[in-house]
Amino acid sequence: MTGTYDVIVLGAGPAGASAAIEADRLGLRVLVVDEQEDAGGQFWRMPGPKAARAHAEPDGNDLRARLRASGVTSSFGRRAWFIEPGFRISMIGPDGIEEGTASALILATGAQERHIPVPGWTLPGVFGLAAATVLLKAQGVLPGRRVTVAGVGPLLFLVATAVLKAGGEVAAIVDVNSRRDWLGHSRGLLSRPDLALRGASWLAQVRARRVPVLTRHAVRRILGTNTVEAVEAGPVDAAWTPIRGGARRIECDALCIGFGLIPLTDASRLLGASHRFDPTLGGWVVDVDRDQKTSVQRLYACGDGAGILGAAAAPLRGRIAVLAAARDLGRLPTSSFEVQARPLRAALSRSAHFGAAMTALSAPRPGLTNLISPETTVCRCESVRRAELDAAIAEGAVTINDLKSATRCGMGPCGGKICEEAAAMLIAERTGSAREHIGTATARPPLRPIALDPLLGEFNYDALPIPDLAPL
Amino acid sequence: MSALIRFRFNGAEIAAQPGQTVAAALLAAGVRTLGRNPVDGRPTGMFCAMGICQECVVVIDGRRVEACRVVARAGIDVRAG
Amino acid sequence: MSDFDLVVIGAGLMGCASALRAAEGGMRVAILERGAIGSGASGVNAGTLSLQIKRVGLIPYAMKGHEWWAKAGDAVGFQQTGGLTLAFNEREAKLLTERMGLKIAAGAPIELISSNAALAREPGLTRRIVAASWCPADGFASSNRTGTYLRSLLSAAGVALHEYTPAQNIERTDRGFTVDTTVGRFGCRRLLLATGAWTKQILAMLGLDMPIRVRVNTVAVLERGPRTVGSVIGHATGLLTLKQKSDGTVLIGGGWQGRGTPASGRGEVVADTLLNNLRLARFVVPGLASFRLLRSWTGFEANVPDFTPLAGALPGIPDAYVLTCVRGGYTIGPYIGRLMGDLILGREPEMKLFDPGRFADAAVVASD
Repeated sequence: MTGTYDVIVLGAGPAGASAAIEADRLGLRVLVVDEQEDAGGQFWRMPGPKAARAHAEPDGNDLRARLRASGVTSSFGRRAWFIEPGFRISMIGPDGIEEGTASALILATGAQERHIPVPGWTLPGVFGLAAATVLLKAQGVLPGRRVTVAGVGPLLFLVATAVLKAGGEVAAIVDVNSRRDWLGHSRGLLSRPDLALRGASWLAQVRARRVPVLTRHAVRRILGTNTVEAVEAGPVDAAWTPIRGGARRIECDALCIGFGLIPLTDASRLLGASHRFDPTLGGWVVDVDRDQKTSVQRLYACGDGAGILGAAAAPLRGRIAVLAAARDLGRLPTSSFEVQARPLRAALSRSAHFGAAMTALSAPRPGLTNLISPETTVCRCESVRRAELDAAIAEGAVTINDLKSATRCGMGPCGGKICEEAAAMLIAERTGSAREHIGTATARPPLRPIALDPLLGEFNYDALPIPDLAPL
Repeated sequence: MSALIRFRFNGAEIAAQPGQTVAAALLAAGVRTLGRNPVDGRPTGMFCAMGICQECVVVIDGRRVEACRVVARAGIDVRAG
Repeated sequence: MSDFDLVVIGAGLMGCASALRAAEGGMRVAILERGAIGSGASGVNAGTLSLQIKRVGLIPYAMKGHEWWAKAGDAVGFQQTGGLTLAFNEREAKLLTERMGLKIAAGAPIELISSNAALAREPGLTRRIVAASWCPADGFASSNRTGTYLRSLLSAAGVALHEYTPAQNIERTDRGFTVDTTVGRFGCRRLLLATGAWTKQILAMLGLDMPIRVRVNTVAVLERGPRTVGSVIGHATGLLTLKQKSDGTVLIGGGWQGRGTPASGRGEVVADTLLNNLRLARFVVPGLASFRLLRSWTGFEANVPDFTPLAGALPGIPDAYVLTCVRGGYTIGPYIGRLMGDLILGREPEMKLFDPGRFADAAVVASD
């Protein structure tokens, strides 16, 4: 099945779904594609089981309702695996291969979590913080009965209170930031009084239940044979380097741990758009101008995939991107574009404050790499330990691609998504190189693993267009 | 309340809420180990819950797929990945 | 300015093997590489080391090349698994028989075998085999490990390796050449261009041009899965290579064309050709249907119209040499590089090289 559209939006989270609705409003033929069963992305994920629906974000429900009511063609449950420039998206759906072509493509692929490997982090029962929000809010499942929550940022408190609400215990909150770090971002936090209030409510709930909150602390080790049985946490300094002594053992049966969000740039890199490294936006990010245009013609990017600014900023950037696409396709006069974009830009600069503050709070500090012991597995897929990476770096590996060639780090099924950040931080620490020189893994299709059977479809050997013979 | 969805994991019967993913249902049932790492043999299970890490990959109908992405359906035969 | 007996431009198998031989012979050698060592064709090909897919005229070189790979061993993940070439209809069977006959006559230890024998050896293959050949010397290595291995060899041999150092300008001097780079000027008595797909650009710095074309070969990797085949699998047309490594991953190649040019940096995979390449693989090994595709990429492969190497002295420019356009270069590189090193040392190579002067008419020599 192939459809032709004016615009295709990849990703139906807050940015993508908003972009699609806007495109429809402008009279464009639009397709939105998402791997999940409904719109909402990670932030406003559609709860699966009915029991979890009570926890659904009202913004998410509203977005889904508006999308349903619009003329947007939604392709859910489709995994995009290839994007041809100009643009043709190939997807695998429940009935096999599908394709969509469009003159303009809007990437709204969102973010993933930044993971810092620590000894024992590969044990079942260890989840990301974002993963924990999915489990609790969208699946109605507790990560464990007695959960330790660790890492950075507001997700710590979102997850902790969600665990409590679901009837679980929170063994401790282990936050690398200090209270002063939080207060240092109070202006940003207060730029969204509603969210600040929600945060304060989370804090109050945590206090009321006497959950230990260890600030300026990090989880150093996760203990257990087949699953989590306890974690060891200890103090860190202002650079987040572990300080000797003061370690304590926390009995728990699950750990939710995460160190902020990173834009997912696989699609934008695959299409050859230019990128830069910007710690204030989560790290590597696709270059976009104020119209959300990338360096590739008719390719736009919005949402956290174009820089971590949070769920409030996402719909605004999505709408700006679509307005720009419509203008560039000749479907919207420039003057109309300016008139419609202006209020969105104004709202964006207000709402981006909060997201930017949260990203700054979560920006990794150099001491984190000290949590990664030589024996710690860094690349989970290929089981590559830090010691092997250090040896390869000592022998001349200076980029992520070098490290990949030398050790297989990043060659597994996840495509380096989980380990690349830590691997880059290790190279930076050892060589003093800037992240720009360390680079990212070369983007290669498919965007996600795809089983051959649905991908290849039915075919006849004799019909295969075998090209010219190799020279004898 | 809707009826539970029943499926099998390595032969054992697991009940899921309608709309729940295979990985979530297994977690709720106390099953955390969904497979083994092919390199070092360590137990693997759900980690990122968003189809990225590939640690929750199981085999359904002979095909490898992320358990956190598959909504449980009645009668499916799920094997460790 | 640094001064060397030999500067090699290009740190792939060709350049490194030549540099190592020259250094062994007493020369002071530097290699200039625009990217990371072994990151061109040497590092991104499918890793096949098969005599069966070699051009007849290059079989003796390939057999020597195999010796080097066997010695490199674990460092490059070398496996001598043996290889099968398969035909699935009468036309392909005829092609197989003819071509393998010529390769056998050239000295390759290949034998034609029955389809039953092929199936007995590899039960994971499709039953629709019509004809087959087998070569026990065939195998593969992990091309991504080439760079790391070469770096260790260069270091041990005292060859000065300069990565991320593109050559920007070349001048002829009365003492040989100077090569300007971002890290300074290199002077040398002799110069070797081992620049693969980027040779045209570098030749232009010497005022030369040759009819070098670049193919954009596609490679795909499948996730680890159950054992399907142990031998390297090829196709009568030369257009499929398939191997399942000991870790269970599967590499699929065969020269299906992506799109792009070296000037733009990277090539792109074209979905339709990738899918047809994979369909061919899946037809030959039905068990692959349940495997997942993890990644695919392209690599550039340079050739000249006669698909014979450019290996020897550059026409009209004393002390300048070129080594590229070797079809089957992954296998043959380590040996033909050694021959080139000997030539540069002033020795007679033990097997003949391939005179680039045959394109002297096409080469344009600009006056200084």
